[in-house]
Amino acid sequence: MRRKEPEVSTVDEAPGRPMPLASAREARRLAAVRRYAALETASGAAFDRVAALAARIFHAPFATVTIVGDDTVRVIAAHGLPPRRGLVESLCAAAVRYGGPYVVPDTLLDPRAAGDPAVLGEPGIRFFAAALITTPDGEALGSVNVMDVRPREAGDEELACLRDLAGLVMDELEVRLATHRTVEVERELRAGAERLARTLQRTLLPPALPRVPGLCAAAAYHPVSADEVGGDFYDLFPLDGDRWGFFLGDVCGKGADAAALTSLVRYTLRAAAVYDADPHAVLANLDAVLQQEHAGGEAPAPYCTAVFGVLQPDGDGFGVTLATGGHPPALAVRANGVVEPIHPAGGQLIGILRNPHFAQVSARLNAGDALLLYTDGLTEARTPSGSMLDEDGLTAYLAAAGPTSADALLTTVHDLITALGKGVSDDTAILALSVPPATRTPSSGSLGAA
Amino acid sequence: MQHDNGLTVSLQPHTSGPRLLVVAGDLDHHTTPRLRAALEGVEFGPDADLVIDLSGLTFCDSTGIATLVAAHQRAQDAGAALLLAGLDPDIARVFQIMGLDQLLSFYDSPEEAVRALSK
Repeated sequence: MRRKEPEVSTVDEAPGRPMPLASAREARRLAAVRRYAALETASGAAFDRVAALAARIFHAPFATVTIVGDDTVRVIAAHGLPPRRGLVESLCAAAVRYGGPYVVPDTLLDPRAAGDPAVLGEPGIRFFAAALITTPDGEALGSVNVMDVRPREAGDEELACLRDLAGLVMDELEVRLATHRTVEVERELRAGAERLARTLQRTLLPPALPRVPGLCAAAAYHPVSADEVGGDFYDLFPLDGDRWGFFLGDVCGKGADAAALTSLVRYTLRAAAVYDADPHAVLANLDAVLQQEHAGGEAPAPYCTAVFGVLQPDGDGFGVTLATGGHPPALAVRANGVVEPIHPAGGQLIGILRNPHFAQVSARLNAGDALLLYTDGLTEARTPSGSMLDEDGLTAYLAAAGPTSADALLTTVHDLITALGKGVSDDTAILALSVPPATRTPSSGSLGAA
Repeated sequence: MQHDNGLTVSLQPHTSGPRLLVVAGDLDHHTTPRLRAALEGVEFGPDADLVIDLSGLTFCDSTGIATLVAAHQRAQDAGAALLLAGLDPDIARVFQIMGLDQLLSFYDSPEEAVRALSK
């Protein structure tokens, strides 16, 4: 059993010093002062007017509004006093720690005030009256004080007005606290949401693309909004032997639901490719998984569009087999600058249709060729004329840029997105692949298959 | 991007021939439930077809597409036809890329859709 501590400590009667009461009570009071952030933030025209009114009501030359901290007395408003002068710190602190209205008719006769520099020196305060600024739960934060240079009495009416003014200060502090808390809560919520968005975004996109011998690969994500997670995804990963798989797509919707769906799609595509890398089969697998995900659900059916491809090294280039489900055409920028779609006709949305059709096509990427996969944020962007950029607009832009590489393609598309500015209303993911141009050295052989 | 056009959905009273659902404005995450509710109130059956007039449609996002696809499947199950009319060329282009042109029937105008049904 712990011995019961006495609730009130011995009172120190030293004159001119605030009288420490129960330390627990003072700790509660200081906690209230900190809660109202009064020591840091409270000041302003409202408090200045309170001080001016207090002085006028008492026909006194000076008035202050003070908040008493641990070992500081902070003046948050003053009337009639020269700066840093006439602050009867000892009396302000004593008022708060005594509780209740507090009047000193003649400071020279009061032991707590006698040593105060504002009493002994300029401006020579002789009269002091204070009303406490008290929180709804009864903690005194500070006081509204009136001072005069001659000894005098305080009338009941004057003291009642002073108490009302102290009440006004408290009301104002309450409003400021509520505002402060709202702002704080909002800031925390926002920071939390942004953290979540960044974390999710990291899980949606691979941190870095792997190095594929004989191939250059580059990817980028252009979000429209920093705080809303989009549903675009891509990846490039090794398959059996020397084959590589890649995909890029877009799930319906935005936000947390879209993010969860994106993860499901990404991992399903990778797992399906391990089982059977045939692009058509991979998309059919994904479709089955998404259909199951929705089965019997009330929510709108989740679906996505995607391009899935397999790269097979072949001489100085790669054979590419591509399947698409409802996704805009991949565009090849050939070594001679010609831009052409690599796009099987007729691929449909994944996950939402009965007996959907997924189309597949084979092509080659030769030395100097590049391949661009993108999401519809790019092609559905509006040009300055108000029309949709579309595949034709993108093709023309790429053709004007000429033969390219994966990295240069990324820059080209970045420039285009920048130029379209506000015309871009959806996130855009970009995956670019290219085969380095044939070197002109006489030594023959395939390119840098390390 | 904000789509502030709102959405109006109105089912024209059945006189003769198919019913006509007129949809105008932006079909997005916020407004699609209104279209879904209207479509759920439509009874499909043999000779109980529906033409959706989309000539006033200014925007259609993924939830709008999902709702139209779901309505098409309900109509198909009931042996009814669901025809889309007056789609904006840009939205039609998006539908085409998604392969929905193989599924849904598009007509330039509601009148043309009604004529196609009466053949």
